[in-house]
Amino acid sequence: MVSNFRMDKNDHAAIQAVLAGDKEAYGTLVVRHSQTLFRVAFRITGNEADAEDAVQEAFLRGYRKLEGFESRSNFGTWIYRIAVHCALDKVRRRHIAETLRVSDCNDPEQDQVQVADDDAGPERLLLSGEISALQTAALQSLTATERTAFVLRHMEDRSTAEIGAALGIDPNAAKQAVFRAVQKMRRRLAPLRVAT
Amino acid sequence: MKHLTDEEMIEQAYGEVESTAAVERHLAACPQCADAFAELKHDLAEVDRIQAPYRDASYGLQVWAAIAGSLPAYRPKHRSLWGSFWASPWTKGLSFAALTALLVSCAFYAGRLSEQRKMHPPIAHVEPRPQQPKQPIVVVVLDDHLDRSERFLVELKHADLDSTDMASPMRDEARSLLAANRICQQKADKAADPELTTALDHLDRLLADAANAPGGLNPQSISKLQNEMNADGVLFEVRVLRSRITRNSSANNPQKGGTI
Repeated sequence: MVSNFRMDKNDHAAIQAVLAGDKEAYGTLVVRHSQTLFRVAFRITGNEADAEDAVQEAFLRGYRKLEGFESRSNFGTWIYRIAVHCALDKVRRRHIAETLRVSDCNDPEQDQVQVADDDAGPERLLLSGEISALQTAALQSLTATERTAFVLRHMEDRSTAEIGAALGIDPNAAKQAVFRAVQKMRRRLAPLRVAT
Repeated sequence: MKHLTDEEMIEQAYGEVESTAAVERHLAACPQCADAFAELKHDLAEVDRIQAPYRDASYGLQVWAAIAGSLPAYRPKHRSLWGSFWASPWTKGLSFAALTALLVSCAFYAGRLSEQRKMHPPIAHVEPRPQQPKQPIVVVVLDDHLDRSERFLVELKHADLDSTDMASPMRDEARSLLAANRICQQKADKAADPELTTALDHLDRLLADAANAPGGLNPQSISKLQNEMNADGVLFEVRVLRSRITRNSSANNPQKGGTI
């Protein structure tokens, strides 16, 4: 707690220095919070490249909005939310790109909407020992919001209120997103339960 | 027994349920919900926390190196001396205190004014009444006196010397008129009106003789009074004065109609 308070004070001092024209002071903030942002970004995006992009983008956005940052807020929490948004954007963009890619390969004679098939046969996965792949597939079956809400709740131990704030939605909507995510995950992982 | 919903179980699993004790009591009492809850906990436990690849302390420097080039430095805001003065927290505090004091003073002053008004209600502005000239009152009184005097003189002029019926009433009327005439004389002296003064003096002598005739009014005394009246021309003077007063009164008060 004391260290957090000291860090918060240091963060504010660095912000004041940046706003006073000392650009390099922002470097200390980047170094201090990069690992935390990378962790959550990776959990949301699911791959390193997107996570690293999301972290850089978050710090860039943060720098541009630094004048609007309220001095009473916690910089760590503030930049964390920005990183969640950036990672969420990455997931959404990737989902759209993948959907379009599948559509490009569409058989002209088959007038049906196709989506990327993340379903892999549980038996094959079990046989190959790729349980984590099944979980990853289950996570990828969620919508971007559900996935982010679930990651923040299940893996980042964030409260419903914090999830709502990070996603920019009502806390009740955040709670519903977590519920839907859990139910979908359980349905997806049901074959794994039977097999074990 | 009402079973727990999926949402309630998920909330309980993540420790966000509002009444944990109540849910725990239900789980202890309801084997069906207890089994379902245990299954949920197991499923959630199966979902591993995604382990992010390790990034050491140098990662932050790498991120900074990647973005530093694209960040423009903020321009320090140079505040003027005046701006710095107002931006100072001390100044802000003092301004707030001064503003508060001003508001309190205004409220106090307004309260006092309101109280004073309640205690001393403002005197309504009354249009000043046009001052009624005092002269018309005197004129009306005088006119009345002259009117009575004229009637008395006419009666005296035409009095039947053979009859004594009217002698007593005439004497009484003469006495009454004499008293009124004295008052009118005093007013006439102050008004410095020689014509009026002369007429009233003549009337006074006549009235005094009529009121104080030795042995009362009788044909001899009445005859004597008639001669005196004719000699002084009292009746004529009274009529002239009345016509003058009536003329003046009409000129000063064209809306005449009231009486006193």
